[in-house]
Amino acid sequence: MKSLRRDPSSNSQAANVASKVFVRSTRSGKVQKIVRELYLRQDIPCSSKLCSICPSIAPPDRNGNIAPFVLSDQPAGTKAFPRGHYLVPDTNALMNGMDLFEHTGAFYDVIILQTVLEELRNLSLPLYNRLLALIKTDDKRFYLFFNEFRLETHVRRGADESINDRNDRAVRTVASWYSEHLKTSAAKKGKKAKSVPAIVVITNDKGNLEKARSENVTALSLSDYVSGLEDSERLLDMITEAQVRESKGPGRGELFYPEYYSMSKLQTGLRAGTLHQGVYNVSPYNYLESSVKVPAFDKALLILGRDNSNRAISGDIVAIEVLPKDQWKSPSTKLVDEEAVTRNDNPDSEETEAVVSDKERKALQDEVKKAHGKSSEGNPQPTAKVVGIIKRNWRQYVGHVDSNSTGSQETSGRRQQNVFVLPMDKKIPKIRLRTRQASSLLGERILVTIDSWPRDSRYPSGHFIRSLGELETKGAETEALLLEYDVQYKPFPKAVTDCLPKEGHDWKVPQSKEDKGWKGRRDLRHLQVCSIDPPGCQDIDDALHARPLPNGNFEVGVHIADVSHFVKPNNAMDLEASIRGTTVYLVDKRIDMLPHLLGTDLCSLKCDVERYAFSVLWEMTPNAEIVSSDFTKSVILSRQSYSYEQAQLKIDDKSDTTELTESMRQLLRFSKILRQKRYDAGALNLASPEVRIEADADEVGDPLNDVKTKAMLETNSLVEEFMLLANISVASKIYDSFSQTALLHLINQLSKKRNMELDVSSSGALASSLDRCVDPKNPFFNTLVRILATRCMTSAEYFVAGAHAEPEFRHYGLASPIYTHFTSPIRRYADLLVHRQLASAIGYEGEDGHAVIEGVATRGKLEDICRNINYRHRNAQFAGRASIEYYVGQALKARGEMEQKKNADADAGIKEEGYVMRVFENGVVVFVPRFGIEGVVRLEDFVLPGESASFSASERRDLAIHRTTEFDPEEYTLRVEEKGHPEKERSVQVELFQRVQVNVSSVKEEGRGAGKRRVRILILDASDK
Amino acid sequence: MPLETSTTYPLTKLRLDGRRWNEMRVFQAQISTNPASSGSSYLAMGNTSIMCSVHGPAEGRRGEASGSAGSGGAVVDVDVNVAGFAGIDRKRRAGGSDRQSTNISTILRSAFQSHLHTYLYPHSTISIHVSVLSSDGSLLAAAINACTLALVDAGIPMPGLLCGCTAGMTGSASTPKDPREDELDPLMDLSLPEEQELPYLTIGTTTMVPVGQNNMDEDEEDGETKVAVLNMDSKVHYTYLDSLVPVAIDGCREIRELMEGVIRGSQRM
Repeated sequence: MKSLRRDPSSNSQAANVASKVFVRSTRSGKVQKIVRELYLRQDIPCSSKLCSICPSIAPPDRNGNIAPFVLSDQPAGTKAFPRGHYLVPDTNALMNGMDLFEHTGAFYDVIILQTVLEELRNLSLPLYNRLLALIKTDDKRFYLFFNEFRLETHVRRGADESINDRNDRAVRTVASWYSEHLKTSAAKKGKKAKSVPAIVVITNDKGNLEKARSENVTALSLSDYVSGLEDSERLLDMITEAQVRESKGPGRGELFYPEYYSMSKLQTGLRAGTLHQGVYNVSPYNYLESSVKVPAFDKALLILGRDNSNRAISGDIVAIEVLPKDQWKSPSTKLVDEEAVTRNDNPDSEETEAVVSDKERKALQDEVKKAHGKSSEGNPQPTAKVVGIIKRNWRQYVGHVDSNSTGSQETSGRRQQNVFVLPMDKKIPKIRLRTRQASSLLGERILVTIDSWPRDSRYPSGHFIRSLGELETKGAETEALLLEYDVQYKPFPKAVTDCLPKEGHDWKVPQSKEDKGWKGRRDLRHLQVCSIDPPGCQDIDDALHARPLPNGNFEVGVHIADVSHFVKPNNAMDLEASIRGTTVYLVDKRIDMLPHLLGTDLCSLKCDVERYAFSVLWEMTPNAEIVSSDFTKSVILSRQSYSYEQAQLKIDDKSDTTELTESMRQLLRFSKILRQKRYDAGALNLASPEVRIEADADEVGDPLNDVKTKAMLETNSLVEEFMLLANISVASKIYDSFSQTALLHLINQLSKKRNMELDVSSSGALASSLDRCVDPKNPFFNTLVRILATRCMTSAEYFVAGAHAEPEFRHYGLASPIYTHFTSPIRRYADLLVHRQLASAIGYEGEDGHAVIEGVATRGKLEDICRNINYRHRNAQFAGRASIEYYVGQALKARGEMEQKKNADADAGIKEEGYVMRVFENGVVVFVPRFGIEGVVRLEDFVLPGESASFSASERRDLAIHRTTEFDPEEYTLRVEEKGHPEKERSVQVELFQRVQVNVSSVKEEGRGAGKRRVRILILDASDK
Repeated sequence: MPLETSTTYPLTKLRLDGRRWNEMRVFQAQISTNPASSGSSYLAMGNTSIMCSVHGPAEGRRGEASGSAGSGGAVVDVDVNVAGFAGIDRKRRAGGSDRQSTNISTILRSAFQSHLHTYLYPHSTISIHVSVLSSDGSLLAAAINACTLALVDAGIPMPGLLCGCTAGMTGSASTPKDPREDELDPLMDLSLPEEQELPYLTIGTTTMVPVGQNNMDEDEEDGETKVAVLNMDSKVHYTYLDSLVPVAIDGCREIRELMEGVIRGSQRM
């Protein structure tokens, strides 16, 4: 019998094989011992451009390329390291200071060790992903060094060494190897060893620091290192708060919040059905009230008060427990604003804090009284309390420092102090921030993140990330909006622009039809095609034509920009577009989904240029019955690009009988028939307030003249109607071909109804009941109801066909059995996907001969994409709306200032008509259609008859105390009167949907110094004329 | 949790055990390890180790000779046993074979049935027993190699050595390859964690020794190389096969050289 033992002498490699042995426990609690081989080698480069040794040994990949060296030959230095330095952070440093490492002002030339990366992955996946993203960007010069595989830096764990000690030792070993290596390399070049950069280990571990000192390795703690940098104050704030707390030690102060249940208890409870899981959602009108929708019940559960919400923040996924019936309450009918109630909290003193401050308690008491008093008819709703957090959904928040909270220490300069940050999003509580630069942060828009919310603190604590600029400046506010709504606004990275055609703007449709671009394309250049868009539109993604056929029917064509020709599946550009999901339109800015070159030039169906298109062609009878439809890739030549107004003028001009105009008239006739058919089928005419702002109007006039409500021309609906038709045709086509994976679009049924007798069983029924809601005295009433109805709808969503049963496909608003988005591929990613699916459905081969559908055929992946585009789409809408709101505010402010200049005591506001949209016990919400904005009107902002019309906010503040209200929740009316005033006339009564005269102005909030601006609405006259 | 090849490979061009894309694990093999059998071998590729023994050609049992392949020549019978301690978890296997070992034995049987010169032994059975002692990826490839060595040891004639090797891609490779920016590299000889993460295939090739020459030591004049086994259980887009197959075939050639060395170096008792 021969021996089977491994014989190292027989194999030269074998000497360098080590084993990594580790133990891990699986989810089920089983313990596994895992053995991995490690092949130690000496050809892992140090990746420093200074090094003269490594370039010769760095081995190539399969294509013979050697990875470019990352670390700069002239690394930045600090006072302590004048020759420059490379940083070697340990895991802890990255855990605490990831924001610092991402900062663009410092932290270049960083060596990330394999050991550290692996440890970080085990500790926090999000941080791991951020670090990977950092390593991938070129300009930060982060190098991932596989130290465990380099013979010299491989560290074997000692017999009684803890894994942490071993990893620390690995970091130190690398640091000493690097400095040794760089010195040898410098010596080879004949330079002095002194000129090589220092290797600085960054660690917060005291033991590690000490050992490093004894081993002659330069090591600094994160805060020590940062203190040596130029911008140290700003940077020091970015170290995670948690670390500072840790050093303070636990055990001080009382605990304000109840403890969360243990994970196992939560899981048992959730499984048993005694606890419920859902997304925590704070009411936008009352920060103490929130709701959680859980699958077990039809209606959302209420959560009232700080105690019950137990440190949950809007957006978190929480576990809740239903409270006993005697604690059930009706939802609040009051406006409660956190800023107003907790104005005076002191960020420093935690001792005096109670979770529920007296004022808050009072606000709550009132509500309980209300609930109990009305309990005969007003039915209390089930309430619940948060008992655990399943998943935090904390992100970075935009806000500003509450000037009150900086207090008297404002002058004390550099001392570290606690301040409150008021997030822009009202649903987020104040964030406590420790900073040394409170005075300089005042009046700036800043970005902060929440680190923790310990039980002994009333507010979450966070740390500062960066400043966006001064409050109210265009740049800062725009960036704030984009950040708040998670819009990707960074310029396209190089990988994306590399995917663009090399010809750039000179790209043309190939002349020769033999070219592979022509394969499978129909030549439609002879058709009289034109496009109709808003004025100034650059990304034209649709064009139309109509022409009579010999048999008396008509051929109608919709031509959509063929974006899928340029954006190939799964390249960098496609991935970027799928992340962005949609183009975001702000008042003065457009955040593109696709690079400029494609969106506004190569794909855009501009006039007089040949462009690739994806065409839908119908044969229609003169009565707009569709005889047949046909889909094809094509090449078109647009004859004219009109704006809506121009097209309307052309159509109206009787003398114009060119082929193009005739075809537009034909289209218009068809569109009217189609529209009528749609309404007959029960489509809804829903409304949403749309305001258009012409930002570049001249500056002298009244700034408010720029604000216009969108005009509706016949040509608008012409285009709209054919786009709908194209979308519906395409939807059924792709559903035929991809019954499991077609990307469709739907609006669910009305999720809830409010205040009105509306029949929601079908869209047709709703449409007719909406039509009945007409108030002869109030022409705007119908529109108002429609706006409300639109809001009650679950917002439209994309979905993958396989995920729903077919009857659920119905598009509620359009009364169409099936719908998708096909017509705007330049600005919506969903359309791009639909293009690919359609191309595959019609058997288009693509220029390389293999089908283009690859990558969109798997359902799981599509569902992920759907989730993302639904989210992006919603956020893009919110961002657009917020941008308009901001602009209106600025216009009001400019007007106010102008008026003030003319006449010192002129009233700064503007008189407008408004409508009451919601009624609360202590205020109402008023909608001003002229500006498309909504605002809260508080008690003090009611101007009672006979009262001197002083509009200064400071004077009015105290009025609120003297006022009482009568609120009738059944009739939705609110009567405001002065306390103890005998005259009955001295009161105002408002009711839902009432038309009121309001005074709109933009004011700075009083008492908060550099505070923010809000649109203030005063109710002047509530008599319904 | 350890890192993933698909995320770190593009950054470092190193796999998670420190190998580069075209490096094999340590290969070690012996033949004639068990004198009681007609031929036997022990083979280790990295942490995968396999023992194999061959019995026969012997007279067929239970009238196997009357089976489908029986009329022409010997029947190859393969039995694969994965030891309970071979994987990470110790498994108690009731009744012997599971899906994995059945699968491997089916592939081995059909590969060697057609590979060996079975017509020389009519009405007989060649039985091969494969015992997997420790499993760390490329199990099928290692089993092919171990069988070949044991069959050579047993002196059963074959046209050339049948060698197996795996190749995988450093990424899911589920979409068409883009020739302009191809970040994925093929990998040779996958270990278990890599197999679990990445798509891979197993290839077995044979190189004919030209008849009439004693060519075992003439490396220059290689005969024709033929792919005898190709097995793939994972999904990969077909455009990547172009880069996967050559890498696996290269691996097979390296293994053939190593195995020839093993055969030459051993003296038969």
